[in-house]
Amino acid sequence: MHRRHFLQLTIAACVAAGMSGCSRSDPLRTGIHPWIGYEPLYLAEEFGWLPATVQLVKGQAASDSIGGLISGNLDAAALTLDETLRVLAAGVPVKAVAVTNVSVGADVLLVRPEITGLSGLRGRRVAVELGGVSGILLFSVLERAGLTSNDISVVDLPVNEHIRAWQRGDIDASISYEPEASRLVAEGAVRLFDSSQLPETIFDLLVVTDAAASRQPAAVRDLVKGHFLGLQHLVRNMHDAVYRVATRQEVSPDMVRQSLANVMLPELLANHRYLTHNGRLEVVAKTLENIMVREGLMDKPLRYEHLTDPAFLPRSLP
Amino acid sequence: MIKALLSHCLVWLLLVAASVPAPVAAGDSVTLGVFAYRPDNVINERYQPLADYLTLETGMPVNLRVFNQDDMNRALAANQIDFFLTNPSHFLVIRSERSLTGALATLRRAWHGETTGSIGGVIITRAEREDINRLQDLEKKSIATPGLTYLGGYQAQALELVNAGVDVRRHNRMVFLGNHDRVIRSVLSGDTDVGFIRTGIYEELLSENPNLAGELKIINPQQLRGYPFVLSTRLYPEWPLVSLPHVDSRTVRRVASALFALEPEHAVAQAAGLAGFSPPADYQSVEMLTRTLRMPPYDQVPRVTWVDILHQYRNWVITVAVLFVLLVITSLWLGRKKKQLASEERRLRSLIASWPQPMLMIRNGELVDCNRAAVDLVGYTSEASLLGKSLAAFSPHSQPDGTPSSQKSEALFARVTAGEVSQTEWLFVRSDGARVWVAMTLAPVYEHDSDIPSVLCSWHDITRRKQAEEQQRLALRVFKNAREAIFITDAHGVVMDINEAYTQITGRDHKSAIGSLPPMPVDEGSAILVAANRHGVWSGEFAARHQEGQAIVLNLTLSSVLDEQGELSHFVGVFSDITRQKEIEKQLRIMAHYDALTNLPNRVLFSDRLHQSMAQARRQNYRLAVIYIDLDQFKPVNDAFGHDAGDGLLVEVARRMRSTLREEDSLARLGGDEFAAIIVNVPDAATLDVLLSRLLTVIAEPVWVANHSVEVSASMGYTLYPQGEEIDGDQLLRQADQAMYRAKREGKNRYCCFQDADA
Repeated sequence: MHRRHFLQLTIAACVAAGMSGCSRSDPLRTGIHPWIGYEPLYLAEEFGWLPATVQLVKGQAASDSIGGLISGNLDAAALTLDETLRVLAAGVPVKAVAVTNVSVGADVLLVRPEITGLSGLRGRRVAVELGGVSGILLFSVLERAGLTSNDISVVDLPVNEHIRAWQRGDIDASISYEPEASRLVAEGAVRLFDSSQLPETIFDLLVVTDAAASRQPAAVRDLVKGHFLGLQHLVRNMHDAVYRVATRQEVSPDMVRQSLANVMLPELLANHRYLTHNGRLEVVAKTLENIMVREGLMDKPLRYEHLTDPAFLPRSLP
Repeated sequence: MIKALLSHCLVWLLLVAASVPAPVAAGDSVTLGVFAYRPDNVINERYQPLADYLTLETGMPVNLRVFNQDDMNRALAANQIDFFLTNPSHFLVIRSERSLTGALATLRRAWHGETTGSIGGVIITRAEREDINRLQDLEKKSIATPGLTYLGGYQAQALELVNAGVDVRRHNRMVFLGNHDRVIRSVLSGDTDVGFIRTGIYEELLSENPNLAGELKIINPQQLRGYPFVLSTRLYPEWPLVSLPHVDSRTVRRVASALFALEPEHAVAQAAGLAGFSPPADYQSVEMLTRTLRMPPYDQVPRVTWVDILHQYRNWVITVAVLFVLLVITSLWLGRKKKQLASEERRLRSLIASWPQPMLMIRNGELVDCNRAAVDLVGYTSEASLLGKSLAAFSPHSQPDGTPSSQKSEALFARVTAGEVSQTEWLFVRSDGARVWVAMTLAPVYEHDSDIPSVLCSWHDITRRKQAEEQQRLALRVFKNAREAIFITDAHGVVMDINEAYTQITGRDHKSAIGSLPPMPVDEGSAILVAANRHGVWSGEFAARHQEGQAIVLNLTLSSVLDEQGELSHFVGVFSDITRQKEIEKQLRIMAHYDALTNLPNRVLFSDRLHQSMAQARRQNYRLAVIYIDLDQFKPVNDAFGHDAGDGLLVEVARRMRSTLREEDSLARLGGDEFAAIIVNVPDAATLDVLLSRLLTVIAEPVWVANHSVEVSASMGYTLYPQGEEIDGDQLLRQADQAMYRAKREGKNRYCCFQDADA
């Protein structure tokens, strides 16, 4: 049917045959944790669209994936851009092979109803997962409010523990994301600020280590293709997907619909655009890096040639 | 009550509508077609309130008509329906047939307080069916379904089964029952193993008959949070409500706003089990489903035209076209080259075939090709009779050097296939048995399809040369080994070549002989050359002298040799040494004329001499006497003392008689003890008497033989010549014999003269 596709397969087969067989046996270990932007990968796994070359290693939070990459237990992971930079800062060379989503309000600052403005945060206890994207949002929020990190009380806490801290009254504000955000809202939290006010800044990515990319390029391609197949199901068959996502995340289908409203899920063409060398993603990465260095989240500027690699994107989808 | 009120309102509305001029609606009333996925009465009961609600809200009478799919299709074809509500699969078929734009709204259902806009499929079987638990277990089972164009009643399940590796369309017995209620009944009654129904049906029936839960089980249940129904498949958007193009937009707007205004808590919604209508969903997923299953309206394989291919694969097409053109050009070019090569090859082949020199190709020791000349040379009739044979087949068992032909040819081929060009002489036997000498040249020929070279073999017939050589060799052998001396001279007689025998006979070696004259008769000398030249040949015997001095006799034949112009060019001489022959001849002559014992002439020579003496006497006119002498008492001596004594006696008597006679006189022994003598030039009788008396005296003297002294006497008769009449030698001797007999008779030891009385 597709001669071009056939040619690709042939070339891929040749390349694969040219490499030693050692890479065949080990699947690409990919760290993943609950997040609406990563749902396509879960869907792909559920429908059997991930071949045996890819293994999803399911963690609870981003820190699991970061730790796995740094320790070498993982070959790839779904991470936000700033998390990716942290991994790079830890000395593990990685590259972004796909943009899973761009946050448009998914990361959100939730506060007690009595706080009505950003300036009201002064002196409050703000729960934040500093190691994650939430830290970036916090610093952006503080920047907007004209505050510094010294003006508030930062409670560094994994996102999944915010709800209990909230219930105990340990915190006054939380920088969170779905599905935890919806749970907090159900507990009476109020949205004060979200990432939609920082357009095209908070990227979620599929990253692979340079070692894995050169050792198992076919598996990386399988991973990226699985993501896009899952995404296709999510978009085309949202009637089905929302229930499945709701089931996994243990929230209502309506909550899932809301979550989806807060993310942009870039399709293949948009991915090509984002991943272009010196494209939007690399520009934002540079800016982020500067903030992180400035806020002391990172010791020194990173040294890398290119953060992105669009070579693993599938040329077309069925 | 309410119904009555509604119908009242309806009538009123109809009247109002009738009074309003045309643009309000296509007709006075609006027809809503609803697809009967459950029995007609159930559907009627549920949706009549909706029709009534719409009548009320829009101000237009809305008629509800419940159809099965076929009837709905017909009604649509006849434009009898303005709005319809059917399942998404059916909607897609209609949309493709009618070129509809899209749905107006999507149905939402409610169940126990939860609402959903999604529909899926349920796979049921009887609870006791232990053998059916997973999708894969459906293989080869009979399946009840409402029909093919049912999303939740067939297509959703079919996709899941295809993904699970079960192709229901091929390997299962499908039973089409028209609606979901019959499917459930069929499964419950055991007519079919499995049933496909849409979501919601199970729960509806369960509420009517709670026992069902124990009787049925769900295959591949999907536990989806927030979804109110049991489910076996993935989910798709619920039924669309569709307006047809002929309905004017105002009517559509009114109906749409009425639909969207319907709240889940509304009595109409409650009655129909609806949660209202939402904006139209994206039916893309249903399209993908039907595409995947190749079901209507996507049951046709998309037709790909050449133009599509050209657009999609322009570069490939151009590349392939260019390659094809190149291929054609190359093929044509190759074809022409091939034709040229073929004609060239034919030309060469005919050239070789008609080439007068025999040529052959040999591969692995077998003839694979040859020309006409080769066939003629070995005396065969056709090339075909030669091919496949080896060289040895035309050769004698062994070649003249003694090597077997097959062995020799193998050695030859081994050398040639190693890359050497080889030349040899070869003997063939023609088919008629004649022998042919051939100078054979063999050369390796490297053909591209073989590692081992073939052998190109050319023959040259050298039989005549060989025969000439043979003759020459024979001639040379004759020349060298002949016992006769042979010499060749130039036209002047100067020797140019000699053979061995020449040296032996003449004693002159090759060096001294060459350049000198050959032996010639002393008296004639080089005149014999002239004679030979004139007559072609000269022959004769002559005496010559050996180099070392002794005399030899030669017998020479000298021939002249003429050149092509008839001019004298050479002389060839053959001579033999006949010296010994001449001596033997002489001895033989002596043996024939002399007595071996006494060395006196015998009777033959005596007779000969007598003739000569008689002729001389006549010529010189003198007289001669012939004496016949016979010894007396010789036999007793022989008997008493043996033959040796007798022979000694004869030798002694012969010596005495000889010495008594004169030199010119002849004495012969005629045999035994008889002698005869010719006395020439007898002057007178007295002289003769003296001679005869002395003869008697010397004979009578004693002779010492065998240690004994023996005495014999002799009786003698004589006669004279010429006489009165002519007389021959024999008569003369006979006269003397007769006279001798008279002397015997008269007492022996005397002599008598012939008298006519004695005759």
